[in-house]
Amino acid sequence: MEVGRVATLAALALANLPVRPFRVRETIRLIGFIGVDSLPIVLLSGLFTGAVFTVESYEAFRLFGAQGLVGGTVGVALTRELAPTLTGLLVAGRAGSALAAELGSMRVTEQIDALHAMAVDPVNYLVKPRVIAATLSVPLLTALFDAVGIAGSYAVAHWELHLSDPEFWIRLRAWVDWADIEAGLIKGTAFGFVIGVVACSRGYHTEGGARGVGLATTQAVVISSVTLLVLNYFIALALAEST
Amino acid sequence: MIDVVTGFAAAIRFEGVTKAFGSHVVLRNLDLLVPRGAITFLIGRSGTGKSVTLKHIMGLMRPDSGRIFVGDDEITAMRERELRATRNRFGMVFQHAALFDSMDVFDNVAFPLREHSRDSEAKVRSRVLDLLASVGLKGAERRAVSELSGGMRKRVGLARALVREPEFLLYDEPTTGLDPVLAAAMDQLILETQRRKPALTSLIISHDMSAVFRIADKVAMLRDGAVVVEGTPQQIRESSDPLVVQFVSGSLLGPIDASQG
Repeated sequence: MEVGRVATLAALALANLPVRPFRVRETIRLIGFIGVDSLPIVLLSGLFTGAVFTVESYEAFRLFGAQGLVGGTVGVALTRELAPTLTGLLVAGRAGSALAAELGSMRVTEQIDALHAMAVDPVNYLVKPRVIAATLSVPLLTALFDAVGIAGSYAVAHWELHLSDPEFWIRLRAWVDWADIEAGLIKGTAFGFVIGVVACSRGYHTEGGARGVGLATTQAVVISSVTLLVLNYFIALALAEST
Repeated sequence: MIDVVTGFAAAIRFEGVTKAFGSHVVLRNLDLLVPRGAITFLIGRSGTGKSVTLKHIMGLMRPDSGRIFVGDDEITAMRERELRATRNRFGMVFQHAALFDSMDVFDNVAFPLREHSRDSEAKVRSRVLDLLASVGLKGAERRAVSELSGGMRKRVGLARALVREPEFLLYDEPTTGLDPVLAAAMDQLILETQRRKPALTSLIISHDMSAVFRIADKVAMLRDGAVVVEGTPQQIRESSDPLVVQFVSGSLLGPIDASQG
């Protein structure tokens, strides 16, 4: 039933894309909330993810004298996997929960019924801008996670592990190509869409007062996080087959 | 069709409407006539189907069987797009006001205009300020919804419902939760609104009997999803029907079992 509800809302949101009003101002506001406001946690997480991955992989590579592989390994792991997945999970936790709670409380306080009563389509007014904002924000945050993650990795390699610059950058440049970055951005886009649709669906279909809002919020985070991890595998599989 | 109680033409008409949720039948072959240009009260205990009736009029719910007419249009035969157009003819005052808490008072009242009309912001502004003044909220336009008292919220809700000059005004328990003085003030506001626009059709869901005797033109009492009694407030007051007598007096003794529902 949950899958059906989410799929129906996703279809309605997509069908609503060309329907006026386009809600540009509201969408920009929501990109601010979902994207810009998530910057601190995404940048901080990116920095330390790059850093810790560098420390751990350096230890492993050092055992057989291949420290030079650290930059390339970290680069590929970050761009293809860690950046989109961790960004998705962070946004699901921070913004997905807030979207579900907002729509949930609008449902239980009859604000969504009021929209219907005023002949305003709640999918157009509430769901469409949120889904668009999430779908655009997550890949952009993913790209920033990439950049900051590599910066964190470089900082540790340079100052902590004393790798020479060529050792770090040559493999990174050789191994990480556009396809890796693109894979991450494709995943980020898909994850953003999932977070937007799941959060809106859980909020929109909230039942039963304050407890219902709490439940919707938790479910939005859990369902979108798990969906995102499962989807990650299938996108990786599809991308591997297409190359 | 003419309403026999008031002698006015029918504005909203239910013909044999039945609605069930699972095995629970909420509306049972309901026949109801709401006259144009008058204030009609739909009374009855909680859970007798009053709110469900309102949702059917707005097309927010569809009956399992039966037909509903708004004017001459059968809304039960309409698709969602036509229903949305019909909803433009309605204003609704929600029980808890259902104001958008992300907006201030002004933006709440302006919302339906901004969504549906191409009026200039200056025109919207003068309309909204006029309406806020008429519901006694002059100077409150920039206040946050969360700062408002229950009575103020309901008045903002009324202003929002009136902003597009609806033909039909539906109130869901407009005085519930208000103290007796505020409730009387709300009744007065409903009456003034009606007098200012004589063609307006007002339907009020309530169990506030003092409001019924103050401002109603017609009263219909629901029980188990059907109208059991209807008439003018005078007829209701003078009724010897034990059901009505018990409901009006709020007595525990009578055909209504207080432990049921």
